[in-house]
Amino acid sequence: MPSEPRAPGSLSAPLYLLCVALVTGLAIATIMALRPAFAHKVLEMVGLETRQQAASGSFYAVRVAPLFAQHCISCHGENRAKAELRLDSYAFALRGGRHGAVIRPGEPAASELMTRITLPAGDDKAMPPEGKTPLSPDDVTVIRLWIAAGASPTLPPSAIKGAPRLVAEVTFPDSNPAATRRQRAPLASVMQQLSARYPGIIVYESRNSADLELNAALRGMAFTDADLKAFLPLRGRIVLMDLSGTAVSDASAETLAQMTALKTLRLTNTKTGDATVSALASLKSLRSLTVTGTGATKPALASLSQRSVAVHGDGDAD
Amino acid sequence: MMPESPFLDQCRLTADTRRHFLGWGMGGLGAFFLNAAAAEPNAAKNGASAAALQVQHDPSAPLSPLPPPFAPKVRRVIYLHMGGSPSQLELFDHKPELTKFNGRDCPEVFLKGKRFAFITGVPKLLGSMYPFHQAGQSGSWISDRLPHLEKMIDDMCIIKSMRTDQFNHAPAQLLVQTGDPRLGHASLGSWVTYGLGSENQKLPGFIVMISSSSTTANAGKPLWGSGFLPSVYQGVQCRTAGEPVLYLDNPKGVSRAERRQVLDAVDEINRVTYAEFGNPETVARIAQYEMSFRMQLEASDAMDITREPAHVLARYGAEPGKTSFANNCLVARRLAERGVRFIQLYHWGWDSHGTPVDQGLNVGLVDCCHATDQPTAALLADLKERGLLEDTLIVWGGEFGRTPMQENRGGQEMKYIGRDHHPEAFSMWLAGGGIKSGISHGATDDLGYDVVRDPVEVRDLHATMLYLLGFDSRTLSYPYQGLDQKLTGVKPARIVSEILA
Repeated sequence: MPSEPRAPGSLSAPLYLLCVALVTGLAIATIMALRPAFAHKVLEMVGLETRQQAASGSFYAVRVAPLFAQHCISCHGENRAKAELRLDSYAFALRGGRHGAVIRPGEPAASELMTRITLPAGDDKAMPPEGKTPLSPDDVTVIRLWIAAGASPTLPPSAIKGAPRLVAEVTFPDSNPAATRRQRAPLASVMQQLSARYPGIIVYESRNSADLELNAALRGMAFTDADLKAFLPLRGRIVLMDLSGTAVSDASAETLAQMTALKTLRLTNTKTGDATVSALASLKSLRSLTVTGTGATKPALASLSQRSVAVHGDGDAD
Repeated sequence: MMPESPFLDQCRLTADTRRHFLGWGMGGLGAFFLNAAAAEPNAAKNGASAAALQVQHDPSAPLSPLPPPFAPKVRRVIYLHMGGSPSQLELFDHKPELTKFNGRDCPEVFLKGKRFAFITGVPKLLGSMYPFHQAGQSGSWISDRLPHLEKMIDDMCIIKSMRTDQFNHAPAQLLVQTGDPRLGHASLGSWVTYGLGSENQKLPGFIVMISSSSTTANAGKPLWGSGFLPSVYQGVQCRTAGEPVLYLDNPKGVSRAERRQVLDAVDEINRVTYAEFGNPETVARIAQYEMSFRMQLEASDAMDITREPAHVLARYGAEPGKTSFANNCLVARRLAERGVRFIQLYHWGWDSHGTPVDQGLNVGLVDCCHATDQPTAALLADLKERGLLEDTLIVWGGEFGRTPMQENRGGQEMKYIGRDHHPEAFSMWLAGGGIKSGISHGATDDLGYDVVRDPVEVRDLHATMLYLLGFDSRTLSYPYQGLDQKLTGVKPARIVSEILA
């Protein structure tokens, strides 16, 4: 059978497949070269590469990763990977970017990352670039020590000596208005009545708290033992009470003894004395007591001081 | 429904700025291309999109007390601003190496590319004029100029690594007091009273006192101004000699009842105006008149130090009837007891250039130390005895530091010994609630020129102060000119956790 005439310039089937394979391969190779992070992910997925993961609690996780997260990953992270470098995981950091590895384990001096973060601030190649928060000398030391020790994903913090102390960052608790409302609910109506009767002197400690502060000092001598008694329904919530300069006297000893949540009590310049101080013995939460200008004496205060209540005022009645 | 007020209408229109339009537009566009939901958690974590704190005062009672968003460590602040900027090298920052090189030319490396307020050419290094020693249980270094304060050193936290970016008094003072070197921003005390209101409805929540009746601040009254915040939150300047507040008392021949009638009439007019235009500043004005009326009784009592026993006056070195830092410190304690949130004391005269006699390190600085040392120490000790130091924050400091080099204004040797302005490093100290006491934080190099450990920017200090008061500096904001204005500005500020107890 005569072979079918082929169109000029057309390929045989095997040759065609070969070409397709070549072009596809070239395309994949190009993508792999340009996107190393992607390449590694693919290799990992098909099982050609083992996944390197940092141990939680390791020096890397506790000291190094937070620095990368704070200073680097906005440009070298998941959403943006300049120079194809990502520093948002241990594996990515070790693999490096478009220009190869940036970390050479055990060789900080030969590591591009070290070079970049130690360049003077004005240098074009300095990292983080101008306008971003620079790494502190302590931060640089932490990274250097880690690379020098082999850039390990598992080495615990205790294994790397001489690292600057870890500074805790302040965080704010999440606010939960619904929970706060629930906590305040049982006393809400009493609170409402009392704040109407004594405006401005009974306030919540914070927006996220059901604890209360009573600043009766603002009322001065107009605030009496009877007034204090009116606050008894709130006894489980009043944590701070300033009675300085009020008319409150030892007659309030019993009332005060029931204020079980009390942490801070100020009696400056009141007609209180040892009777009040003795009554406070039952207040387990009490941490600070001021008796300046009261009749309280040292012997009566001694037991409180022993309980590590900070007593202000010398207890020499004057 | 309330009819739309022309004023609020205009506010809304001016608030719809190009920034909002673009922001909204970009956000809308972005939503097409990005999985916005996926990007969200990251942003929230960085605090970039933290929602502004809702501060809602009743317009007719703009100073009613509000609890802070988070549990506070302190309930009030006493800020002792040492105007002119004290030399850290004569008080807290001990530099034996600098003393060793006293009189030698300043190394080139410190001068290259730098600009000083007055120093020209190659100045000489100047070692500390006064001997240092370690004091207290903590062994913190202090010079012999502050013998009284030294006794309280275990209650203090000295920051030796303060930095600023301003080297002239007025902008540097504005930066320290309002968070921005330009005019028009709200001062620390205004932010605090805006966020917390005032505990005492018969006194302003923010009171300012100045040691001298003749010298005023370089930056003037904007240092305690409310800037873009409603004017009811500005600081009220009080005096310890004469009437506490000028024109507060009734004029001769006018009784309190007559004054009340006048106020009632004025209030009525203001209410009509408010009903017509709806400008909250009008309500603020009513509130201010009413507060002044209440203050007539309370303020004179609070400011009257003759009510203090002789031993207390002696402890502070206070003399009733005079205008002095000592009197102001004593009044500060009285105000703290009366629930004033933010008490600001200014003491001028620390600008030790060495030009006139009162600006020499060997003369003027000595006088300033003498005028402030005893009362400052007395204030700390007195608050401590009353248990108030536990929830009061004391801040002491100037607006920048002073150079480790002797000033050579005009390239000449000067009559008195002085140092130039130095923004690169200075010392401040804090004491009181939430502060780790008896420590020093941060360090400068051997010559005291640059910060080498734990730098603290002014905005970091501000963020820390707000944290102690129960605020997150990223969320305490006020919309103005299309931006959520914050005390700490737009750069990230760090709470200095190392100095927290």
